[in-house]
Amino acid sequence: MSLPDPRQAAAFRFVRAAYADGEAQLVYAFDGGPELAERIVFPAAPEVLPERRAGLAAALKLLHLIAGISYYKAGVPRRIEIEESPLDAATARLLDALYLNGLGEFAYQNKLDLREHIHFPHAGSHVPAASLGLPARSLVPVGGGKDSLVTVELLRQAGEPATAAWVGNSPLIAACVATTGLSGLNIQRQLAPQLFEYNKAGAWNGHIPVTAINSAILVMAALLYGYDSIVFSNERSASSATLEYQGQAVNHQWSKGWEFEQSLAAWLRSHVAADLNYCSLLRPLSELAVTRLFARESRYDGVFSSCNRNFRILGPRPADRWCGQCPKCHFVFLALAPFLPKPRLLAIFGRNLLDDETQQAGFDALMEFNGHKPFECVGEGRESRAAMYALSQRAEWREDALVARFARLLLPQLDAAELALEPLLQVEGPHGLPPRLAGIVDALR
Amino acid sequence: MYRQNERNGVNTLESANAAHGGWVVVKFGGTSVSTRPRWDTICRIARDWHAQGKRVLIVVSALSGITDKLKAIAESGGDAARRQALHAEILARHEAMFAELGLDDRATLQYWLDRLAALSTDARAETGALAWQAEVLALGEQLSSTLGAAYLSAQGLPARWLDARQHLLAQALPNQNAWGCYLSASVPTAPDPALAAALAAQGEVFISQGFMARNAAGETVILGRGGSDTSAAYFGALLKAEKVEIWTDVAGMFSANPRIVPAARLLSRLDYEEAQEIATTGAKVLHPRCLNPVREAGVPLLVRDTNRPELAGTEIGASAGAAAPSVKAVSERRGITLISMESVGMWQQVGFLADVFERFKRHGLSIDLISSAETNVTVSLDPSENLVNSDVLSALAVDLAEVCRVKVIAPCTAVTLVGRGMRSLLPRLAGVLAEFDLQRVHLVSQSSNNLNLTIVLDEAAADGLVPNLHAALIKAEALRAEDPAVFGPAWRELYAHAQAPQAQPWWRRRREELLQLARDGARYVYDLASVRERAAALRALKAPDRWFYALKANSHPAVLAVIAEAGLGLECVSLPELELAAGLVGPERLLFTPNFAPQAEYAAAFARGARVTLDNLHPLQHWGETFRGRAVMLRVDLGSGRGHHDKVRTGGAGSKFGLSLDQLDEFRRLARELDLAVVGLHAHLGSGILDSGHWREVYAQLAALAQGFNRVEAINIGGGLGVPSQPLDTPLDLAALDAQLAEIKAAYPQFELWLEPGRYLVADAGVLLARVTQLKRKGDYRYVGVDTGMNSLIRPALYDAWHEIVNLSRCDEAADTLYQVVGPICESGDVLGSNRRLPECADGDVLLIAQAGAYGAAMASHYNLRAPAAEVVI
Repeated sequence: MSLPDPRQAAAFRFVRAAYADGEAQLVYAFDGGPELAERIVFPAAPEVLPERRAGLAAALKLLHLIAGISYYKAGVPRRIEIEESPLDAATARLLDALYLNGLGEFAYQNKLDLREHIHFPHAGSHVPAASLGLPARSLVPVGGGKDSLVTVELLRQAGEPATAAWVGNSPLIAACVATTGLSGLNIQRQLAPQLFEYNKAGAWNGHIPVTAINSAILVMAALLYGYDSIVFSNERSASSATLEYQGQAVNHQWSKGWEFEQSLAAWLRSHVAADLNYCSLLRPLSELAVTRLFARESRYDGVFSSCNRNFRILGPRPADRWCGQCPKCHFVFLALAPFLPKPRLLAIFGRNLLDDETQQAGFDALMEFNGHKPFECVGEGRESRAAMYALSQRAEWREDALVARFARLLLPQLDAAELALEPLLQVEGPHGLPPRLAGIVDALR
Repeated sequence: MYRQNERNGVNTLESANAAHGGWVVVKFGGTSVSTRPRWDTICRIARDWHAQGKRVLIVVSALSGITDKLKAIAESGGDAARRQALHAEILARHEAMFAELGLDDRATLQYWLDRLAALSTDARAETGALAWQAEVLALGEQLSSTLGAAYLSAQGLPARWLDARQHLLAQALPNQNAWGCYLSASVPTAPDPALAAALAAQGEVFISQGFMARNAAGETVILGRGGSDTSAAYFGALLKAEKVEIWTDVAGMFSANPRIVPAARLLSRLDYEEAQEIATTGAKVLHPRCLNPVREAGVPLLVRDTNRPELAGTEIGASAGAAAPSVKAVSERRGITLISMESVGMWQQVGFLADVFERFKRHGLSIDLISSAETNVTVSLDPSENLVNSDVLSALAVDLAEVCRVKVIAPCTAVTLVGRGMRSLLPRLAGVLAEFDLQRVHLVSQSSNNLNLTIVLDEAAADGLVPNLHAALIKAEALRAEDPAVFGPAWRELYAHAQAPQAQPWWRRRREELLQLARDGARYVYDLASVRERAAALRALKAPDRWFYALKANSHPAVLAVIAEAGLGLECVSLPELELAAGLVGPERLLFTPNFAPQAEYAAAFARGARVTLDNLHPLQHWGETFRGRAVMLRVDLGSGRGHHDKVRTGGAGSKFGLSLDQLDEFRRLARELDLAVVGLHAHLGSGILDSGHWREVYAQLAALAQGFNRVEAINIGGGLGVPSQPLDTPLDLAALDAQLAEIKAAYPQFELWLEPGRYLVADAGVLLARVTQLKRKGDYRYVGVDTGMNSLIRPALYDAWHEIVNLSRCDEAADTLYQVVGPICESGDVLGSNRRLPECADGDVLLIAQAGAYGAAMASHYNLRAPAAEVVI
């Protein structure tokens, strides 16, 4: 079967969504083309409680709308059609913002201006959602990296009942979850196979806001299994833009940012369940503050990985988990270095990235020397600079090739007053945590 | 001295002991004392020695897992509930063992169980007093030896229970702290004929405890790690035993860690120093500290397998003297940290080393290796809990920075070759050292006692190194694996029962036919059934979607026809290959993967409908129109080559193949400009690879890269599937390969998986037959010449490839002559095989060179205007 080039499509259609017996089916189409059906499977999902049905229907609608972004981006047509019940204005606003900002990097990479394309039509209104009496416990998405493991440890210490959730088949995440000792919830997601056909026919491709999709999946899960909180691990730096393009801020991790968290949380309270919390435990923390917390616990050293290149497989050797070449590897290495005994850090990575001249460009990018921050979930430039400065003051690090180079060439160009580590470790800024979880971060202040 | 013992079965102290028989000390570990059948084994071994007129002292460890539980009690601090729970578990385990052994008199067992109860509730538990901890830890062996004494006596072998603390008196070492004095004690021992005589008067079979001694104050102390082996060694020394036998789960010490090198050879015979070195640098079977007592007393120590008592094991004794030097073992230690210190003071600064070492001492860090230059000293630190989980290294670096510039190099792996007379082996090691990525070696150390050569390199560069080194050492005859005085069977031969016996090669079955064929001159002979069989085996794998045979390996039309018939595609690297292949398979099964090919070949390949692979920017930059609107595969260089020889490694900056990863963005940009679809990614890192994990790694890396491309449909992980050539190479495990590939495929279901084997399909199917022309003797060397050489088969000269060679005319005669097998070409490299054992050859004999089906005839030449061997298919 060969499909037409989706870039020629006039309209993207949200055809329908259904949920039954632990499986959500989300159907889309370009023009009159074949139906694109995505399946999401919730394992051992219990019978839906009658009082949660309306909330679940709203959650399914949200999931349908958000997950559509994987397909919409293949053609980015100028018309969006909603074929089941129409959206109210608040919902359309949420989606306009998500599609426009969440596809910001995609638009930049493909040299597209989507402002004329993304307009979710709205006509309806909605009845405010009620409280559903959801049990006071947390669903924690675990991604295999350091952040969610820090959240898990903080929740454990606070005695919060929690379940680790993840989407897809990643042996690495499964191993991390097993190490946490928490119960696990593994949700499966199957993209419509025709998407690959559309890709062959010339579809646009690029970064999509996958955190938003996972968030919508977990909202469904919270209602199905009964959790009143979905606790992400997005930190403060997730809100800062990577660069500006055509007058618009482009942030690789927009759907991990505070703006999206706030707007989705508000929408969920008004449209799904008044007692559902969508929040991020690490929001008032910088990346460096998170890495400092991570350093406290060594049990994940041999299983976790933040590397986006190697993250899908699990191997016994550090090189199986850390490619050592990508921005994530560079950043996590640099951010952990001030807080971990050097031999422990080097054992985690299996090599010393800061004593490897070929990695110079990668670390320069993190520090925002010669160019913009990479399109990856990495900390702010000033965090990288402060971490590097801290290392340049440490006897066991300062002779390493890239640290020595920093001290020799880059440090003289910097204002030493802005390089202190301590101010960056401050817990500060807003968060959206419910009272029982807010105490955990307050204790860190 | 030792040799004489062996020959005469007499020992220097034998005369003194003769009246009541010599002593044998036998030691059994935790798993050996944890079930009744294992106690029957102990009983049998002790009885055998007793029947031979020996006095036997049995030294035992605690039941499996008990020492850990006792340690948990010792470290429980104020947690009385935890102590109680552990106490109950230990009690239950010994009650169960008592029942399993069918014992009835529990009075003595009860004594120790009561001790346990009392110690668990002792007031000293709250503070974890060291003397109390030692008493707690000692209970495991006291309990197990008590059970053992009762059981052996019940089996009709009266065994006297001996309190080890009565005979082993610990002495504090200089600078030893209190912890060390109680929990890592040492016992100075020397033969004590009076003790031997006193015990001899009491009985003939004794059982005692490992792991413990007493101190001068009469308190119980513990010997620390490896303690039971050490106890056996102490007793062996005190009694001046005829031998100490350490009975364990493996037949002895091996030439490498058998878990990573199944071809590792059992070491039949080692001297004390070599054994000590091997135990220190990696082998876990024996704790190094147990060797000194037996060496001082001149008592031989043996390591033997409880499950395989018929095996002689490893015998460790005094140096045998004149034996030819050989590497005995290769071992590795990971997690090494190097500290490199550059002096900043004046030239020949006095006291620099003293300043430096004092700081290591101050931080309690013990240095292992040292290397130095005029302005630099580099030392190594072994991995320790302390180093990884505390700030000690940071604090040390601060202190060192007062006197030098300090650099921390980690993580490193120390690879050690052990063998007496290492320096005389250096010439043989030249080729072996090429296995190391020398850019990433930080320190080389060769001890003045001439026992070892240690190379410290980046840990990442040490992956997979030891198996390769082991093979290279054997190949270079630096590890003289064929010397029966030193080496026993390979671990795999002893323990890998599951492995199917090697099938008889096809050419043995068809010997007569081959002898006929060889009559008319040198011949390549191909067995098509073998090709068909290999193709079917590959096609049976589930994970790969498509196979492409790399036809450069062997392009004989009959071979190609069989492969095409089996459904494989054909991978071509030149236009003539493509034209040949196009006659056999449709365009959808043609893959064109050239390197530095001219523009016209790409155009011709597109015209034929073949799938084309690019591996450079140049074609897109300069011949863009040839590629506009096309679909191509992209071959990338993942940066590290693998394989059996430099010339077959095809990854890394030194290799001409593949696009460098840093040019990926530029390639993508050019592709976008030309509307060129990148529909697949490909990497091929080398040949002759036997480790199935290699392709998993390549696959995972390519799949991760492929996510950066819109249109990728296929991942081609190349070939390089190894064919074992040496008799002890582990064959590639196809099932394991399939499982590893399936794992990644599950993570990236959107991509098809392609492989392109070459040699794997055809190597074993072909043989080269050559007739003996002349024989020659020069010095110690015997040469046998045959009527074709590197003009037919260049692999030995080009790649140092090893091909099995047999004298087909004399298959049934003993292979007892060492030959250099050479061809008739005027070139000193025209050697088909060196140091081969063959029956005495005569002119006209037919020699068969095996595994010549790949890159044999395909690479043949008319050098010297000698026609290469003709090809025949059977």
